[in-house]
Amino acid sequence: MTAHPTRIEPSILHKLAMHSPEPDNRLWTGIREKSMMRLNSTSFPHRKIEEWRFTDLKAITRTEFTGMDKAGMQPAAGIEKYFLPEADRSRLVFINGRFHEIYSSIGGLGKGVTVGNLRNFPKNKVVQEYLNKLVNYENDIFTAYNGLMFEDGAFIHLEKGAKAEAPIHVLNLYTDSAKPYIANPRMLVMAEEESDVTIIEDHIGLGENSYMTIPVCEVKVKQKAHIHHVRIQRDSIKAIHMSRPITYVEKNSEYHSYTITLGAKLSRNEPRVIQEDEEVNFTLDGLVLIDGEQIADTHSVMDHRFSHANSHQLHKVVVNGSAHSIFNGKIFVRRDAQKIDSFQENRNLLLSVDGLVNTKPQLEIFADDVLCSHGATIGNFDPEEVFYLQSRGMTEEKAKEVLTYAFALETIENVKVESVHKLLVEEVYRYTKANSKPKQKKVTI
Amino acid sequence: MLEIRNLHAVVESEGTEILKGVNLTVHKGEIHAIMGPNGSGKSTLAKVVAGHPEYEVTGGDILFNGESILELDPDERAHAGLFLAFQYPVEVPGVTNTTLLRESYNTIAASRGREELDPLEFDEYIKEKLEIVDMNPDFLERSVNTGFSGGEKKRNEIFQMAVLQPVLSLLDETDSGLDIDALRIVADGINKLHGDDDAVVLITHYQRLLNYIIPDFVHVIIGGRIVKSGGKELALELEEKGYDWLESLATVNGEAK
Ligand SMILES: Nc1ncnc2c1ncn2[C@@H]1O[C@H](COP(=O)(O)OP(=O)(O)OP(=O)(O)O)[C@@H](O)[C@H]1O
Ligand SMILES: [Mg+2]
Repeated sequence: MTAHPTRIEPSILHKLAMHSPEPDNRLWTGIREKSMMRLNSTSFPHRKIEEWRFTDLKAITRTEFTGMDKAGMQPAAGIEKYFLPEADRSRLVFINGRFHEIYSSIGGLGKGVTVGNLRNFPKNKVVQEYLNKLVNYENDIFTAYNGLMFEDGAFIHLEKGAKAEAPIHVLNLYTDSAKPYIANPRMLVMAEEESDVTIIEDHIGLGENSYMTIPVCEVKVKQKAHIHHVRIQRDSIKAIHMSRPITYVEKNSEYHSYTITLGAKLSRNEPRVIQEDEEVNFTLDGLVLIDGEQIADTHSVMDHRFSHANSHQLHKVVVNGSAHSIFNGKIFVRRDAQKIDSFQENRNLLLSVDGLVNTKPQLEIFADDVLCSHGATIGNFDPEEVFYLQSRGMTEEKAKEVLTYAFALETIENVKVESVHKLLVEEVYRYTKANSKPKQKKVTI
Repeated sequence: MLEIRNLHAVVESEGTEILKGVNLTVHKGEIHAIMGPNGSGKSTLAKVVAGHPEYEVTGGDILFNGESILELDPDERAHAGLFLAFQYPVEVPGVTNTTLLRESYNTIAASRGREELDPLEFDEYIKEKLEIVDMNPDFLERSVNTGFSGGEKKRNEIFQMAVLQPVLSLLDETDSGLDIDALRIVADGINKLHGDDDAVVLITHYQRLLNYIIPDFVHVIIGGRIVKSGGKELALELEEKGYDWLESLATVNGEAK
């Protein structure tokens, strides 16, 4: 297939899309055609667009991405160390977006749970009905690109009443390479009535190379079903991470997600939760720990369309060096959605003078019986807290380390899988240790 | 043990002078009470001794065991054996009492040549100390002072004092906010902790505390200076007469002497 960008200025994504993989069945053909149309009518974003005002995209526009085959991939070595003991028999491994069966293991999930590579399920009803149908990001070139280019993906299906016996680890690895490439991981999760599953979505850069990953994730949580979704972004420090996880919640369902952003030079996370019926409960928490020149952007949407919803978003950010955090949290409460209890808070700990934080909690409420609290804070350490700890014998450095650690830890307290909780605590610890002294750019006059 | 010589201190950010020549000597084994009207500089004095960065010492000196501590950071002063129980204990969300105390205990122990305790030993040790102030063990796993009632915060300060075993304790209005029973318990605790080798400086507004903890000396601060010192009977006299009769000692023609 060939792309023929018309009216719009062609970008690197349009160019690379000319080499999109040939679809090998009707379902894929349909997805490719739709995505191609979208791509051809969508421009690459720029800062004159409100939604992209604060986000510097030079990391993408100044990189010469190339096709996977020409990138000069290094082999993926020593990946076992990223396996989780709890998910020993419930793991899907993707390397640069491609499924690797030999590293995967799916025997330990119990009755009614189907997991595997999306590509192997073209005839599956759920796949046919929902794949690429749930994704809803208007004017987003990245989702269009993924739709055109993805080849493999994680498929997780829980039948009615099925309870996954182990957490499912979706391990996305990105190998070192000679040239920058773009990976397109994909995920479809369907939790039928009264089912229950924990998913650990992991993104890990194995080298220090530059690559872009565009994970697109579609999730549906049916009546009384429950999903605990942990997303860990540990991409290489030169990577670009553009994730688009979208979730639809039905009556009496629960969806709780925790996104931990540690890596990537530039990341733009756009989680969306859309309410499809009354009585739902969902969480979109985030923790961002950045330093150096990192840019971490979260643009979220919590769309309350029906009455009786409980939603929670605590987005915590620690910024050091010249790093830049952007947060835009949209909360919609539609006209007939009454008795909504929505909490949103973006708290930023800014450790350095060169760090930058842009935050915009955005409430759009059209109903009247609604309890929405939202707020944003940006600050350094409270000097009274530092003095208090120092007066108890801690050095200033240690006091700040303890305070950063405490600040960050709150968001990961709810991660239920023990080894994941432990590894996140270690990540937080490593970050706070490395950042207990504020880093300032040296100024030479 | 503590010798404060003609101490002058200003608020760093704005330069207002709060302490205007404080002199105070405390020997080991002694208990001193500092009283004085609101805003007279009692807390400032305690915080300056503890090394609060908000204040700048512009004159005089503070000697601890014969050496000036002005150049020491607050943590170094704590290592030397100084302890401040805050008038307004600070809430530190996310840091549990145990975490704070274990970290503090071990750093102070290391710097004073005492043996550090491993987590198990520390748990044992800390349990004994809870009893001194009759504190519920549940408080150990709660974030430091977070959501504590006013009285619970004060009790927690004395609990920390019990754990850290300071040589010189500055207790800033520890009695305010405590109910009648708690006041007795906390006062008993302070008495138990106090011995021949350490000293206690109590800042208080109420003579009542001094019925439980008998001071060797009572000082009155007005306008950033100690204007009168005496024995425990001075507290009774203040209770009766207030501070008016001392104001003239603090000012001459409306100016600080
Ligand atoms: N950081 C500061 N900035 C401005 N003013 C200050 C600061 N710290 C203390 N002061 C002022 O210095 C004076 C003494 O304050 P301090 O807290 O020492 O009083 P105090 O004797 O402890 O009073 P109280 O009995 O009410 O506790 C007050 O007038 C207070 O407003
Ligand atoms: Mg005071």
